[in-house]
Amino acid sequence: MKQPRVKSPRTLRFAAPAVIVAAALGLAACGSSSSTSSTTTTSGSSTNASLAVVAPPTSSVALSETGSSLLFPLFGSWGTAYTQTYPNITLSTASTGSGVGISDALKGAANLGASDAYLSPAQVQATPTARNIPLAISSQFVGYNIPGVTAHLKLSGSVIASIYEGKITNWNNSAITSLNPGVKLPNLPIVTLHRSDGSGDTFLFSQFLSATNPNTWAKTVPYGTTVAWPNATGALGETGNSGMVSGCAATPGCIAYIGISYLAKAELAHIGEAALKNSSGKFILPTPATMTAAANSFASTTPKTGTLSMINTSAPGGYPIINYEYAIVLSQQPNATTAQAVRSVLSWIISPSHGNSQTYLAPVNFIPLPSATAQASANQIAQIK
Amino acid sequence: MTITTSHAPRRRRQLSQLIFRGATLLALVLVLVPAVWIVIGIVSRALPHWSFSVLVNTSAHGGLQNAIAGSLLLMFGVALIAGTIGLGAGIYLSEMSGSSRRARRLDGVLRTATEVLSGVPSIVLGFVGYVALVIALHWGYSLLPALIILSMMVVPYMAKSTENSLRQVPTNYREGADALGMSTGYALRHVVIRSALPGITTGLLVALAIAGGETAPVLFTAGWTDSMPSLALTGHAVPYLTYPVWAYYNQPSDQLRYLSYDSALILLVIVISLLVTSRIIVARTQRHADTRH
Amino acid sequence: MTTLETAATPHATPGSPRGVAAVRERLRKSETTLWRRGTLIAAVLPFVGLLFTIIVIAIKGWPAILVNGTSFFTGSSWNPGSTYGASTTVHGVAVPVGASYGAWPLILGTVESSAIALILAIPISLGAALALTERLPRIVSRPVGFAVELLAGIPSVLFGLWGIVTLGPLLAQHVYPPIANLMPDLPVFRFFKAPTGQGQGLLTSGIVLAVMIIPIVTATSVELFRQVPPLNQEGARALGMTDAEVTRSVTVPWVRNGIIGASVLGLGRALGETIAIAMISGAILGHTAATIYSPMTTIAATIVSQLDSSFTDATGFATATLAEAALVLAIISVGVNLIARLIVHRGGKLSAPVGRG
Repeated sequence: MKQPRVKSPRTLRFAAPAVIVAAALGLAACGSSSSTSSTTTTSGSSTNASLAVVAPPTSSVALSETGSSLLFPLFGSWGTAYTQTYPNITLSTASTGSGVGISDALKGAANLGASDAYLSPAQVQATPTARNIPLAISSQFVGYNIPGVTAHLKLSGSVIASIYEGKITNWNNSAITSLNPGVKLPNLPIVTLHRSDGSGDTFLFSQFLSATNPNTWAKTVPYGTTVAWPNATGALGETGNSGMVSGCAATPGCIAYIGISYLAKAELAHIGEAALKNSSGKFILPTPATMTAAANSFASTTPKTGTLSMINTSAPGGYPIINYEYAIVLSQQPNATTAQAVRSVLSWIISPSHGNSQTYLAPVNFIPLPSATAQASANQIAQIK
Repeated sequence: MTITTSHAPRRRRQLSQLIFRGATLLALVLVLVPAVWIVIGIVSRALPHWSFSVLVNTSAHGGLQNAIAGSLLLMFGVALIAGTIGLGAGIYLSEMSGSSRRARRLDGVLRTATEVLSGVPSIVLGFVGYVALVIALHWGYSLLPALIILSMMVVPYMAKSTENSLRQVPTNYREGADALGMSTGYALRHVVIRSALPGITTGLLVALAIAGGETAPVLFTAGWTDSMPSLALTGHAVPYLTYPVWAYYNQPSDQLRYLSYDSALILLVIVISLLVTSRIIVARTQRHADTRH
Repeated sequence: MTTLETAATPHATPGSPRGVAAVRERLRKSETTLWRRGTLIAAVLPFVGLLFTIIVIAIKGWPAILVNGTSFFTGSSWNPGSTYGASTTVHGVAVPVGASYGAWPLILGTVESSAIALILAIPISLGAALALTERLPRIVSRPVGFAVELLAGIPSVLFGLWGIVTLGPLLAQHVYPPIANLMPDLPVFRFFKAPTGQGQGLLTSGIVLAVMIIPIVTATSVELFRQVPPLNQEGARALGMTDAEVTRSVTVPWVRNGIIGASVLGLGRALGETIAIAMISGAILGHTAATIYSPMTTIAATIVSQLDSSFTDATGFATATLAEAALVLAIISVGVNLIARLIVHRGGKLSAPVGRG
C-alpha cells in the first residue's frame, strides 16, 4: 500500500493558480451547505451533510478528550464554551500527546483523540471504523534561546536537519551565519530539544525535515509521532509542548520545535522565533496570512478522509509547516446517545460561527478550516453512529 | 588501682566510639529528614490552594470527589478479595501443612510461588492486566481488572503476614481447642485467628496502604474517568487518587497542577491514618498481652 | 493429620454409621476437609496468578524476542521504524520498516540507579537499625520508627513529585555544582564533572530510590539485630568493649548474611520502581547517561511512559517489544528477590516460629 507521500513542490506548482481561485470562491461561499463546482474531492458523496450544529441529546453525557498538547489550549476553551451552551454535556480534556490521543481513541478509551498527525495506513487498516476529522488548521515554529539575539533568525530545513544530526554544533557556524548576515551570533553550543512522548509536533517537524532533505534526513529518519533521533551531543527530551517551552527557556543555546499555540508563552520566556525557508526560497514567519496562503494551496486537494500533509507548500508566501488538527474518532460509538453527543461537539467545533470563529482561534494563532474541508469534516461527522 | 598503660589505644577506642555514635545518630537524622521533608513539601504546596470544594466536586468540575470514591472503592475491593485469599493462604501454610513428603513438596512449591509473585514488579503486573484483561478479554478499563491485578500484588504480603501471625499463636491453644472437642472451623475462628487477629489486621492495613498508593498497575487496568465510579465490574473506568498526581503535575494548566497537589495531600492523609490505626491496634494488644498469663 | 484434625474416632466398622455420634464425626471430618480444601485453593491462587503473568508476557513478547534477538541487550537505538510506511516481515513477524529496539540504555540505567541507591541507603539503614536496637530514649526511637513506617507506606508517586518539584531543583542548584567543581578534571572523574541541568537525571533518581529502599533495609536489619543473643553482646561489654567494638566484633558478624540479604531485598525493590523514576529520570531514550547528572531511563520507566503510544504502531511490534522488556525486568527482579530470601533465611532465622511444638 502506498504511504501518503509528503507532497513535493513540483507537483503542485501547476495546480496552484487554479486552486487559489477555486479556494477563494469556496471560502466566499462559507457556511452554505451546497458544494461549489470546484470542490471535486468532496462531491464524491451524493448528498453533503448539513454544516449546522447538531443538537446534543437531552440526557447527561460525559465525553473525554485526550491527546495533542498543541491542540490542548484550544480544546479546553472549546469545551468550556460548549458546556456553557449545553450544560448537560461535559467534556474533559487532557494534554497527553498525539500518540496517546490516537491510541486511546482507537482503543475506545477516550471518545475524542486530538492529534496533529493523521492516521497511518496501517492504523486505518487495523481499525476500519477510525476516522481523522480536521477541526482547524494550526502550525509550528522553531524556537531558540540565544542570549542577546532578539531578531528572527533565518533558518532552512537543511540547516536544521544538520543541527539535529549533530553536524552543526555551534550557533556561530558558517551555515547559520551565512543565512543571517546582519545578526551577531555568539560562540554558543547548540542544544537540540525533542519530544520524548508520542507527539504530533514530532510528526510535523520530521515530515518537514524529510521534505526539505530528501536525500539525507528522509533516507535515515522515517517520520512519525515517535522518531529515532540521531545522536547530537547534549540532546534533551521533553514532555509536551509546555516541556519544550520550559526546557528551552532553561537551556541557553537550545533549539526546539514548538506548537504555535505556545507562541505567547515562548515569547514571554524570551524564546526567539525562526523564519523558515519555504520551497520558493523565501524566509517566512508563521502568521495567519502566511498560514492561509499555505492552506489555500492545499484546500482543493484535501481528500474526503481529511488525510493530507500540508508540509512545504508551493505557495510563494506560504509558511512551510502547517497542518490540520484532527479529531480521531471511531465511527462506531458505544451507544446512540454518546454518538449524538460526539456529533454535536464536533459540529459545534467546525462551525465558523462557533468553534471555528476568531474568538477561539486567534488566541492560539490557528486559522479556520477552508469551507471545502469543513464540508468534508461535516460529512465524516454525520457518519458517526 | 587501674594498671595504666599507654593512653593512645584508649583514646583511639574512645574516638572510634565517638565516631560510631555520631554516625548512627547521623543515620537516624538522615532517615527522619526525608520523611519530614516530603510531608512538609506536599502539605505546603497543597494547603495554599486548598478548598473544601475539592471534596464535593468531581474532577470534571475541579474537584477530587470521584478520585477519592474510586480509591476507597478499590481499597475496599482489595480488602475483600486479597484479604480473603491472603487469609486463606496464610491459614493453609501455617495450619494445614501436611506431613507426607508429597504434601511438604507441594507446600514448598506454593510458598515459593508466593515469594516469586511478590517479587514481580508492579508495572509488569499492570502490563499483564492491560494486555490480557482490558484488551484481550474486552473488559476495558474497569473495576475487575484493577481488583485482580491489585490483589495479585497484595496477596503474597497478606499470606506471609497472616502466616507469621498465626505461627506466633502458642500450640497449646490449638491443643486445648481440640481437647474441648472444637471442630476445625470453630477452633480456627474462635481460638487461633482470634489470637492472631491484631497481626492479621495490621497486615491488612499495610496491604491497603500499598494498594491505595499504587499507580502503574492501576493506570493500565482502571484507566481514568472524570465521573464518579460505578459498581460495574467491567466496562466502566475507575478514578483513583494517584492518577491526578501522576498526570497533572506538569500540565500547562495551573488548576490541574493544584489538583495534583491536593490529591497528594489526601493520599498522605489516608496513608498516615492507616499507619496510626495499625499502631493503635498493636499498642492495644500489647497492653492486653501484658496481662495474659 | 494436624493437631486440629486428630480426634477420637469411634470404633465403628467403616461404612456403617452407628448412631448420632458417628454421624457427627462424619460431619466434623467433612467440615475439616472443607477448610483444608478451601484454604488450599487460596494458597494455590498466587501460583495460578504467577503462571498467568509469565504466560501472558511470554506470549505477547515472543514476536519481539524473535525479531530483536540478542541485539536487544546490546543495542542502544530505540527506533520504532517507519510507522507511517509499509511494514515488512522479519522472521515471520510483521514489523515497520527500519524498526529496531535496543534496550542496553534501559538495562544500564536500571543497574546504575539501583547501584547508587544501594550505596547511599545501606550505610544509612544499617546505622539507623543499629541506633534503633540500642536502648535509645522513647522520644527518639518512637518518631524514627514512625518515620521508617511512613517512608515505607508513602506512595511512590509522591516520591516522584517530591523529587521533581523540591529535591531535584534544590540539588541541581545547591548541591551538584559544588560537587562537580570539586572533581579533578581527569578522565575517570569526568563522569562526575558536568553541567548539572535541572536536577532530573541519574544521581537524583539514585537519591530518591535510596530514600525509598531505606525502610525495607532498616526494618529487616532491625529484625536481624534483635536476634543477636544479648548474652554475647553483654559478655563483650563486660570485657570492656565499647559499643562500636561490640557492633563490629559481635553483632554484625552474627548476622552478616542477613545484612547482605536485606540489602539485596532493597535492591529488588529498587529494580522494580516505576513511577517515581519515570517522573525524575528525564526519560531519555536512545542513549546512556553520559554523566551522573544526565537524564537516563530505566526499563520500568520506559514501559510506563511508552505503553500507551506504543499502540500507534499498528503492527503491534512496539507493544511486543515492551512485553519483552517487561519479561527481562521480571526475570531480573524475581531472581534478585529469590537470592535475597535465600541468603536471609540461611543467615538468620527471620520468621522464627515461636509457638510451635
